[in-house]
Amino acid sequence: MADTVLSVQNLTMHYTTRKGDVSAVDDVSFDLEKGQALGLVGESGCGKTSVAISLIRLLPENARILGGHIYLDGTDILALSEPEVLKIRWTGISMVFQGAMNALNPVYRVGDQIVEALQTHFPDKSRAESREIVERLFRVVELDAAMIDRYPHEFSGGMRQRAIIAMALSCDPQVIVADEPTTALDVIVQDGILKELREIQDELDMAMIYISHDIAVIAEVSDRIGVMYAGRMAELSDTVTVFRQPRHPYTYALMSAFPSIKGPKRKLATLPGEPPDLLEPPPGCRFHPRCPRATAECRKVPPAFEDLGGDHFVACYHPIEESNG
Amino acid sequence: MTTQGLIAPVTEPLWRIRLRLAWRGLTANWRLFKENPIGLIGLGIILFFALMALAHPVLMATVWETRVYDPIIGYDDQIAVHPAPPSARHPLGTDPLGRDVLSQLLYSTRSEFALGLLAALVSVVVATAVGAMAAYFGGIIDTIFMRIADVVLMLPFIAVLIVLTALLRFELIHLAIVYGVLVGFGGQTIVVKSQALSIKIKPFIEAARVAGGGHWHIIATHMLPNLLPLAFLYMMLTATNAIFAEAVLSYFGLLNIRMSWGIMLNTARVSGYLLAGPDYFHLIIPAGAAISLLCSAFYLVGRAMDEVVNPRLRKR
Amino acid sequence: MAENAPLVEVQGLRKLFPVESGLFRQTHSFIHAVDGIDLKIQAGRTLGLVGESGCGKTTTGKLLVRLLDPTEGSIYVTDPELGQTVDLAGLKGRQLKAFRRRVQMIFQDPYESLNPRRTVFDTVAEPLVVQDVGTLSEREERVANLLQLVGLSPPSSFLFRFPHELSGGQRQRVAIARALVIEPVFVVCDEPTSMLDVSIRTGVMELMMDLADRFGVSYLYITHDLAVARYMCQEIAVMYLGKIVERAETEELLSNPLHPYTRALISAVPVPDPEYERTAIEIEGGIAAPIDPGEQCRFYDRCPLRTDRCGLEDAPPLVDRGGGHYVACF
Repeated sequence: MADTVLSVQNLTMHYTTRKGDVSAVDDVSFDLEKGQALGLVGESGCGKTSVAISLIRLLPENARILGGHIYLDGTDILALSEPEVLKIRWTGISMVFQGAMNALNPVYRVGDQIVEALQTHFPDKSRAESREIVERLFRVVELDAAMIDRYPHEFSGGMRQRAIIAMALSCDPQVIVADEPTTALDVIVQDGILKELREIQDELDMAMIYISHDIAVIAEVSDRIGVMYAGRMAELSDTVTVFRQPRHPYTYALMSAFPSIKGPKRKLATLPGEPPDLLEPPPGCRFHPRCPRATAECRKVPPAFEDLGGDHFVACYHPIEESNG
Repeated sequence: MTTQGLIAPVTEPLWRIRLRLAWRGLTANWRLFKENPIGLIGLGIILFFALMALAHPVLMATVWETRVYDPIIGYDDQIAVHPAPPSARHPLGTDPLGRDVLSQLLYSTRSEFALGLLAALVSVVVATAVGAMAAYFGGIIDTIFMRIADVVLMLPFIAVLIVLTALLRFELIHLAIVYGVLVGFGGQTIVVKSQALSIKIKPFIEAARVAGGGHWHIIATHMLPNLLPLAFLYMMLTATNAIFAEAVLSYFGLLNIRMSWGIMLNTARVSGYLLAGPDYFHLIIPAGAAISLLCSAFYLVGRAMDEVVNPRLRKR
Repeated sequence: MAENAPLVEVQGLRKLFPVESGLFRQTHSFIHAVDGIDLKIQAGRTLGLVGESGCGKTTTGKLLVRLLDPTEGSIYVTDPELGQTVDLAGLKGRQLKAFRRRVQMIFQDPYESLNPRRTVFDTVAEPLVVQDVGTLSEREERVANLLQLVGLSPPSSFLFRFPHELSGGQRQRVAIARALVIEPVFVVCDEPTSMLDVSIRTGVMELMMDLADRFGVSYLYITHDLAVARYMCQEIAVMYLGKIVERAETEELLSNPLHPYTRALISAVPVPDPEYERTAIEIEGGIAAPIDPGEQCRFYDRCPLRTDRCGLEDAPPLVDRGGGHYVACF
C-alpha cells in the first residue's frame, strides 16, 4: 500500500449553540496518500469546512470534537495537547482558507507575514534564510519577487490567493487543505490558480485536500472524491468512478445537477426538499427524506460506510447498481 | 397571465393576522430580553418605581392627611424642629419646611417618569426622522441636518440648558421637549443616519424602487421599521440622561417646578443642610438614591435591549 | 407592430461614473462602466449577459430597470398591451412609474433582497400596492396564486412568514413571485442562483424557465457562470470592460467562439467531467477598472491575437459575421 500520510477515522464533531447541539460532522473516515489530491465536495452545511478545521485543530470556542482519530504520519493529532498542536500546524498540515483574501493582515507587508510564520516554527533560521525561502516560494507560485515588500491592498484577488498558497507552503507541510480557494475569483484567474496548485502538487509530491461545492473544479483537481452530505460522508472513490459510476443516490443526483458548457445539453436533475437542519438531523440515513430509494430500513439506522469493492466506499442500503460497460 | 381563483386566500381579516404576528414578535423579543439578568434587574427597578408612583395618590387618599403629608404645602405641626429625623410617623423624616420626605419622593416619581419618557419619545422621533431623511436624500438636505447636528454636539449640554432655563423659566414639559430635541439632533441623529445608510443600500430597497415605490413609500415602509429597534434602544438611554439633567437643573433651582427629586436636593442645599452631617442624611440620600436608581434602571434596560436589537451581541 | 420587432432594444447605452480625485474632489476622470452597448431581446426569449467582475453587466442590468440613469443612449421597450414603443431611458416621474409595471428585476442575494421585517405577503404584494393595482382581497388572491406557482405550497402557510423563517431557495422563489406579480413583460435577473446551493439552484432555474414559457416573459440573465448561461439562455452576449465583444445564439457561441476573449473565457471554465482534457488559452494580466479608456479595443493589452491595427485604430464595432453571430474584433 502506498504511503498513507493522513488517515481520518470516525471523526465526529458538533457545535454548541443556544438552540442546541449541531451535529456538524458524524463518523467521517477517509485516507490520504502522499502526492494524492482528495476532493471533498458537498453543499453548504455538509460539514466539509468543519472537517477542515478539525484537521488543523483551529476550532471555534463552541466546537467540540466528540470522537475519532486523525493520524498524521502515524500520530493521532487529536490526542495532542495544545502546544504540540501548534508545532504541527503549518509544518504538518497547513491550510488555505476560504476567503483567504482577508487572511492577510493589511498593515504588514506580505513578505514579512510569511517570514513571521517561518520564524515562529523555525526559530533557529536567520531572517536572511527565511527571506530566501519566501523568494523561492514566490517563484513557485509565480508571483513577482518585487511584491514581497508590498502590502496586501496592492495585490489583486488572484495574487493574494497565490500569496496565501505561498504561506501555506512555507513550512513544508505534508498536507495542504484548501478550503474553497478559488470561489470568489473570476474564472480566468481561477484557472491560473488551479493550474498552479496542480503544478505545485506534482513538483513537491504533496498531499492535498481540496474542498469545494463546485463539482467541475473538483473534477479537474482531484484524484479521489469524497461526497459529503449533512455531516456524513456518502461516497468516497476515485474521481472517474464517482462521476461515471456513482452509487449513492445523492452523488448520482449531484452529478446530474451541474450544467456544463461542453457535451450535449441535457435536462438537469432537481433534488426535492432541502438539506436537513443539523440541530435535529433525521434518524437513520440523513438523506432519506429526499431519497427516491428510501425504505423503512433507511429511516432507522444509519447505513455503514463500506467498501463496495476497489476502494469505493458508500454509505447506503440501496446503492445504485453498477452498470457494466 | 390569468390567475385562477383556485386557492382560498387569506381566511382571517388582515389586521388580525398582523396583530398576531406583532404579538409573536413581542414575545420572542421578551424571551431574548429575559435571558439577560441585567435587563430584568433594570425592569424590576422600574416596576418598583412605578409602584411608588401609583402608591402616592392611594396613600394620600387613605392613610395620609393632606394637611400634614402634602408634598408641597404640608406641614407637620406636631413636631417641633424641622427637618426631623425618620420616625414612625414620617418614615423618611421631614424636610426643612416640615414636609414629609417620603411623600415628596413618591410624588416626584410620577413626574420623573413622565419627563424621562416624554424626552425619550421626542428624541427618538426627531432622530429617526432627521436621520432617515438625511441618509435617504443625501445631498443638501443631508448637509444641512449634519451641520445642525454638529452645532448641537459642539454646545456643552448642561451649560445650554442652564442658560435656557435661566432665561425662560421652564416647566417639566418644556424641559422634556427641549431636551428631546437637543439630544435627538445631536449624537443620536448620526447613529440613526449611519444605520439608515446601511439599510439604504440593501437590495430590498432597490426592489421597492423597481416596483415603482417613491421616496416616502420607501422611507415609511422600509427604512423606518428597520430603524425602530435602534430607536427604542436609544429611548432608554435618553430617559436616563433626561432624568439626570432635570436633577441637575433643579438642584440649581433653575426649573419652574414645584417638586421633584432635584428640588428636594435643592431644598436641602439652600437651607444649608447639604453637608450638615449624618443626622441630616435623610434629606439627601432618598432623593439621590432615587435619581441614581431610576437612571441606572433605564440604562440597564437599554443595555439588555442592545442584545435583543443587535443580534451579533448575543451569546451563541 | 412588426412580427419580429424586438421587445427590448438597447442602443448606444452608456453609463459613466465620475472618479473624484484631488484635494477638492474635482472630477477629472470617468469610469466607463457601460460604454455604448447595443442589445436586442425578442419577446419570450432569454438573453444571457456574461462576463467577469467589473465588466459592467450588473450596471447594465440596473440601467435597464432604471435603478441607474443612463448617461447616454436609449432603451426601447415595446409594451404589447398598448402597442407602443417607449424609450425607457427618457421617462420620468409618473410615466416612469407606470412603465415599471412592465420591467422588473430579480436580485442576486436572497438574504438581502427581502425586507427582514416584512412578511412574505407584504413583500410580494408590494408592487401591487405601489402601483395601486386591485383591492385587498384581489391582491391576496394574486399573491397566493403566485406563491403556488413558484412552488411555495400551500400558500397559506407561507403568506405570513418572515424571511428568516425561509431557506435561501425559498427566499429566491419569493423574489421571483414578487417580480412576476405585476405581470411584467421583461425581467432582469442579476445572478439569481449564484448564492444558492447546487441542488436548489436547478430547481429555481427550472422554475424560471417554466414561468418564462407560461407567461411569455423575456429575461435578461446576468451571470458569470457560462454553464448556467448555456442552460438558461437562447442567446448569449459577452461583455468586457463595458463593451459587448460578442453576441450569438448560445450553442453557436460555445461551439464557435470568434472573439479572443470569449475563446479564453470558454477555455477557462472547468468542466465537470474528469476525463475531459481542457486546454486553457493563456492571457496575461488582469482586469483593471475602465477609467478614461482610450478609443482602441479594450482587450488590446491582453489579447493573444493582437496586431498593430488593433492598437492604432478605434475599437472595432460589433459586426454580424453571419447568422446573427456578432463579433467586435478585427
